[in-house]
Amino acid sequence: MAIIDKGMKKISPSKVFKEKLLKKKKLSGKKNLETILFCLPAILLICIVMYIPFLMSGYYSLTQWNGIAKNPVFIGFSNFADIFSGKSGFLTSLGFTVRYTLLFVIGSNILALALAVALTRKFRLANLYRGIFFIPYIMSMTIVGFIWKFIFTQGLDKIYELIPAGFLKWSWLGDPKIAFFSVVLVGVWQGLGFYIVLYIAGLQAVPSDVLEAATVDGATGSQRFFKVVLPLLGPSFTTCIFMSLTNGLKVFDIILALTKGGPGTATYSTTMQIYQEAFTNNNYGMGSAQAILYFIVVMVITQLTLKAMGSKEVAL
Amino acid sequence: MKKKFLALVMSAVVCATMLAGCGSASESAAPAAEPAKEEAPAAEPAQDAAAADAAADSTSEATGEIYMFISSPEYADAINELIDAYKEVAPGVTINYETTQNDYPTLLKAKLNSGEVPDIFSSTSGKEIDTYLEYSYDLSGEPLMETIDPSVAAAMSSTANGGTGCYGIAIKGNYFGILYNKDIFEEVGISEFPKTFSEWESACEAISAAGYKPFTTGFAEWWVFKHTYQHFVNAAADGAGISTAELVQKFEKGEAKVSDYPELYDNYFKFLDLAVKYGDDKPLETDLAAEEAAFATGKAAMTLGQGAWIEADCLSINPDLNIGFVGYPTTEDAKECKVISGSDQALHVSKDSPNLQATLDFVNWWYTSDYGKAWFNDVAGVVPPIISDAVSEFEVIKQGSALAAKDGAGALAVCYSTDSWHQTCGQILQSYLAGEIDKDEACAKIEEQWAAIDGAQ
Amino acid sequence: MGMHKKQILGKILLLICLTIVALVYIYPVFLMFMNSIKPFGEVVADAIALPKAPTFENVTYVVDKIKYGSLFLNNVEITLIGIAGIVAFASIAAYILDRNRGKLSSAIYTLIITPMLIPFQTIMITLLKAMNVIHLDQSKIGLGIQYWGFGIPMACFIFYNFMKTIPREIDESAHIDGASTFRTFVSVIFPLLKPVTVTVIVLDVMWIWNDFLLPLLMVNSSNKTKTLVLAAYTFVGQMNTKWQYAMCAMSLTVIPSIIAFIFLQKYIVEGVVAGAIKG
Repeated sequence: MAIIDKGMKKISPSKVFKEKLLKKKKLSGKKNLETILFCLPAILLICIVMYIPFLMSGYYSLTQWNGIAKNPVFIGFSNFADIFSGKSGFLTSLGFTVRYTLLFVIGSNILALALAVALTRKFRLANLYRGIFFIPYIMSMTIVGFIWKFIFTQGLDKIYELIPAGFLKWSWLGDPKIAFFSVVLVGVWQGLGFYIVLYIAGLQAVPSDVLEAATVDGATGSQRFFKVVLPLLGPSFTTCIFMSLTNGLKVFDIILALTKGGPGTATYSTTMQIYQEAFTNNNYGMGSAQAILYFIVVMVITQLTLKAMGSKEVAL
Repeated sequence: MKKKFLALVMSAVVCATMLAGCGSASESAAPAAEPAKEEAPAAEPAQDAAAADAAADSTSEATGEIYMFISSPEYADAINELIDAYKEVAPGVTINYETTQNDYPTLLKAKLNSGEVPDIFSSTSGKEIDTYLEYSYDLSGEPLMETIDPSVAAAMSSTANGGTGCYGIAIKGNYFGILYNKDIFEEVGISEFPKTFSEWESACEAISAAGYKPFTTGFAEWWVFKHTYQHFVNAAADGAGISTAELVQKFEKGEAKVSDYPELYDNYFKFLDLAVKYGDDKPLETDLAAEEAAFATGKAAMTLGQGAWIEADCLSINPDLNIGFVGYPTTEDAKECKVISGSDQALHVSKDSPNLQATLDFVNWWYTSDYGKAWFNDVAGVVPPIISDAVSEFEVIKQGSALAAKDGAGALAVCYSTDSWHQTCGQILQSYLAGEIDKDEACAKIEEQWAAIDGAQ
Repeated sequence: MGMHKKQILGKILLLICLTIVALVYIYPVFLMFMNSIKPFGEVVADAIALPKAPTFENVTYVVDKIKYGSLFLNNVEITLIGIAGIVAFASIAAYILDRNRGKLSSAIYTLIITPMLIPFQTIMITLLKAMNVIHLDQSKIGLGIQYWGFGIPMACFIFYNFMKTIPREIDESAHIDGASTFRTFVSVIFPLLKPVTVTVIVLDVMWIWNDFLLPLLMVNSSNKTKTLVLAAYTFVGQMNTKWQYAMCAMSLTVIPSIIAFIFLQKYIVEGVVAGAIKG
């Protein structure tokens, strides 16, 4: 508004200009109304199931409450003060989560892209193969936990009898250092199918005439992939990296099913920490405070990543 | 501009919320009305129940709906049978039974807070009785008090109210101790299970020399730790000449040091080291299923942290398993080697229940009727939480009750603390076993966290 | 000819590699299916060994026990309601946000996608409280509607990112023909979104069909509203889990969604072929 006002002072207002401006204003007003109208159902629904409960939790973060008593005690910001004084395990769990997310994002995206490229080749049963990679994504975490525990303990022992490689004898879930990688491994295994589907959708959207043109120009297979296909996959990259980032930061089920944060507290993610604080330690107020802080952390991380991605993305 | 927009959105949200509320209220009333025809009235439980109560007074035949939301899905079949049997007794009462293990405490909290308080809900017994006190009905004036096992009733009283009242009942009693493979012990030539720690140590050596794994530990589960250290906590209390409850209170107040109690500081940690030395190859990876498998297939001679509940599972892996059941040899005093009995779980009756009378009638029937009393042993196959002379077919229960009658049973120390604390304690001990912290660091953490988690309440 | 041979060889090599990766990948899943036809003792003693005598007694027991048929229909109903709302509301929002770019739309976009960052566990208690007030709990329709709110952020994000690939000239020509924005979206743009729509449907069907926590919170209390996954979890206890039944029930839950996946997969490919004509 301010800019337009300035402009009007500089140029003497003619009747025609005024009308034009009015029309423009009207048009953008109509556009804004349209935007709000079309987004209204989405906004309303999201508010009802996510924002309102979240704001309600926000209130509890200012209280001391065990989640059971009928009346929470209002205590102001002392939960937050406790977090920053390092009393709770919040800060250590944040370190774990960041390391996990980093490895998870890199691992998932590279593997998913490679497999998506392979799976978009034309061959028989391609759909079956895609299905195979997708199944872990829909398996129940309790069952996944049970089966992987079995593989880590007895399965690897059996393979060791065939191939006596030292790493098969490791305590994959019992050693705090190795447990980290086991959790990442199962995390990538479980989520990969999701990213493969997204990359496949992106690869399918690359126009075939562009590829043909590149082939006619004499580009080899790998040149075609790195110089033509990869830059055109911009939107898929944004989607997948953003998704894997948020999923990595929200990691919970896998850890609960595999190690329950253990051995000791070696694989405690921040979500796990929040859950533990709120529900196991009966400290819902503190848990909510941690949840809100964590939400801010996650928001900053993802916004920065999105900004960085946005500037590099190639528009079709 | 932004403010206006925000205001617009917010007011729209409010309107829509209200509209949605009205809309779906009428919507949900429709399907709910259907079952009302065939069963009990369901449309608006609160109001109908009030009406039902009024009706019950005049016709003396109870009607109503009981919402039962409890953990332990392993007893779902048995409880469904119980509910069916009650249907014959009180055809006007409908019991909606819901059970889950995953996230039970979380869900219960969510339900309590949203005002959907279940008429019957569960928690652990002892300390957690106080946590849910505001919601629980005091059953001490009810007929079921005549049949309830006194040790079970004791675990249902409120410490906050000075150990009075009975705020819950149990599905089962329980026995905690060591399950051992009698055949292995016989083969090695140990005729009687050792009762002192040093005898126990040499027995492990002998078993190990014979090519068996003396222990399978289950140290991947946090609750295995609480089931083992309660025996040592009892021994420590005896050693100090105080009751277990007093000892636990001292820890909660931050007055006690682990190192003041040799039974905990020396014996318990010696026990952990022994368990790792003679236990599974990957101790922190062994969970319940792995423990059952190692024990039932005859690879390991003793299980740690288990009790009556694993017998059926082990027998279904190996029906010929010859199970023995004993207490923990915690010290050099053979008298300290006791099994522990009691109920570690409590079912609460909501005191604000609109169907209070119907709910009370049900639990009283459960505990006092002939069918109800026989149900524990015949249908559920558990240790009856009532005074009963039914003979169980389970070895653990048979040997456990014989031992308890002969030597006495230890206090159910697990129920003096909340599961919140037990879980944290399990994690600290796991860190110790993983070598991340040493014994003194572990003890310091135990002292600090015990006071922080259970002392605050 | 040599070129051709090389290509075939490459393809075979690729297939072999892919098969090996897929086998390793599918192995844990295979274990689940295999253990669902073993008796309890065999599952716990050695989950990796092949069944000594496969038994389908587990399957009949589970199907009967959890009332598979009626719960299956519950799952279908909840999933269909959920999907319909998510696709409709997310696609139209993404469309308008992409076309009317500006301060307002970027603010709304942020508002819509930010909830993806809220960990579900942190709002569980207050969510049930809120749903209780507006009566969206304890009903299948209510649960379906909640999925709209939970699913829209991700769906909108995916739609928005792919919306860029549809040239604006298409809507402009529709506008010139006198179609309203809504009309343009419904009859011109939405059909072009088919590959993305299928992707969103695939992802969301899988998610809703197999979701655990939200149904546990909202519809677990009655057999009339329960879902398959919830039923499978009734075999899981803390100190006593009937693994053979749990695996069997999970397998029975997962199989329909796998079939749906393979079936829907085709449409992603087909959709692209249809979409390519526009280029």
